Amino acid sequence: MREPAPPGPVSARIYTAALNEERTMDSPSSRPFNVSLLLRLVLATALLLVTTARAQGIPDPVRAPFTPTRDSEVLQDVPAAHDPAVQAMRTLRAQLDAAPQSLAAAIALANAYIDYSRQIGDAHYAGYAEAVIAPWRTRAAPPASVLLTEATILQYRHQFTAARELLQRALRIDAHNGQAWLTLATLDMVQGDYPRVGKECAEVTNDAGLDVGLACLGNLRSYTGHAQQSLLLLGQAEAPSGDASPSYLAWVHGLLAESAERLGDWARAEADYRAALALLPQDNFLLVAYADFLLDRDRAREVLPLLAGHEQSDTAFLRIALAQAALHSPDVVRDTWIMGARFAALRQRGSEYFGREESRFALSLQHDPQAALDLALRNWQVQRAPWDARVVLEAAQAANDLRRATPVLDFVEQTHLEDPVIVPLAKLLRARLTAATAQLAP
Amino acid sequence: MNRAWLSPVLWLVLDLATTAAGAHSASDAYLTLDAAGKDSPVVAHGEWDIALRDLDFVLKLDDDGDGRITWGELKHHQADIAHYAVARLVFVGRGAAADRVGKACAINLTRQQVAGHADGTYAALFFDVVCARPATSLHLHYDLFFDIDPSHRGILVMHSGDDVATALLSPEKASIDLPL
Repeated sequence: MREPAPPGPVSARIYTAALNEERTMDSPSSRPFNVSLLLRLVLATALLLVTTARAQGIPDPVRAPFTPTRDSEVLQDVPAAHDPAVQAMRTLRAQLDAAPQSLAAAIALANAYIDYSRQIGDAHYAGYAEAVIAPWRTRAAPPASVLLTEATILQYRHQFTAARELLQRALRIDAHNGQAWLTLATLDMVQGDYPRVGKECAEVTNDAGLDVGLACLGNLRSYTGHAQQSLLLLGQAEAPSGDASPSYLAWVHGLLAESAERLGDWARAEADYRAALALLPQDNFLLVAYADFLLDRDRAREVLPLLAGHEQSDTAFLRIALAQAALHSPDVVRDTWIMGARFAALRQRGSEYFGREESRFALSLQHDPQAALDLALRNWQVQRAPWDARVVLEAAQAANDLRRATPVLDFVEQTHLEDPVIVPLAKLLRARLTAATAQLAP
Repeated sequence: MNRAWLSPVLWLVLDLATTAAGAHSASDAYLTLDAAGKDSPVVAHGEWDIALRDLDFVLKLDDDGDGRITWGELKHHQADIAHYAVARLVFVGRGAAADRVGKACAINLTRQQVAGHADGTYAALFFDVVCARPATSLHLHYDLFFDIDPSHRGILVMHSGDDVATALLSPEKASIDLPL
């Protein structure tokens, strides 16, 4: 990213319009105030990035304004007109334009945008979805379907508290909305509130049917020390009684792959990842999960062709950079710079929903374990999936700051998580921590 | 069981649990202003970098629909881009204390180029802010893309002598006053 020209740090006057409500600069006065830590960080990072980029002669795509010389020069990839998903979105858009008051048309278009956003790992379409439902969202009493769609968008952005609030409102209007229960279950799963998830999966079974309920429960069991049982439950969900959509089957295969990983059954996990990707070959979530699987198996070479063409997605791009690092490729310098600039841009816009990825970036690409630990612990405050635990433990080990990993060690022990990477690491750190404490004791 | 009523979104929300993806680039534009001095009608020089991805969504830059925007295609749409963008940015110059209301200033486009950012290529619009009356401060109102994407953010950097001011422009905070 081409950053704004380096500021004079001492005289920098920072006007925050959105970052700090109380400090709105509505008056034309030029009173300076304390620069927020966040912005200091952004500016410092920007300066550092610019300097580093210049030092290393970073080429495209990060460059100052220029005028291309050839008409045929490709400047930007965008969704192609022949992509079936793009055509479907266009049809739904035309239907809404023809009936702008139709809630059903708006929800259908918003859901198509959200689905596409997730598929290609590009948050722009989640924003477009938000605009589509905005006319209903701003009403005094928005319908449950609108609250649910908005909650899905917020959850995608990892704004979990706001998403939960909207889901609870939706369920007060429509207590038997299976999708709202499932979304709530997902949210609590990500945040590690497993007792609540159990109850929510029961509601899912009642309101969305046995197959979906089994998948919900199967996923939960894989997090609570019953991965073997989880495979059985998900196996039943995988063979549903009726006709299942490819996205449903891909979802269940993705969950099966994850449960198999919990048990260290790599062959089964890989088979399920491949089965899921055969159904949804472009799915960003599945591609990224499979890329992580390959990176863990020392198969970085396979990550590059897998993710080719998905560089636009930040999550995919991080795995490409990690693979380049594992392969000792010279491209890693450039990729690390671009990834860092993307994180800086996210921070600049006030987003902070990328802690897990940024922690991995700091640890493996910037080789800064202390920063990685800080990021991982901040992420742990909002997300508690196995990977969230793993980034804390790996950073704590690298930073040799085991004490700070204690909340995660407690969580792993209390939930009886099974994982061939996390559990041995947690045991090692616990043993070292106990030994260190014993040494300190009189 | 008939699950026809279940939308694809259903499956999307759950696999967040399996992979819980982190970073996704959202829509940003970068607006850089350089104060040019109080005595000249040109009060500031500006550069506005707007993502081609965003512009394609509203203006359909990819003429042949092949999924790639070329320089040839972009050139063909430069006038549309300028028209679209300039209509969504307002500067009002304010002078002495008595001049509370102020007067709208013109945005004169000087050239269009392209700029590379970490998340893609942007159209770089260069312009001058021209105020008919002497101004000591500028009121800026920003309204790019908020109607199609409320999560869009304008990242403003204002250089005034040695000072640098930055602001994040959003639907909730779309206006700002800038001393010259």
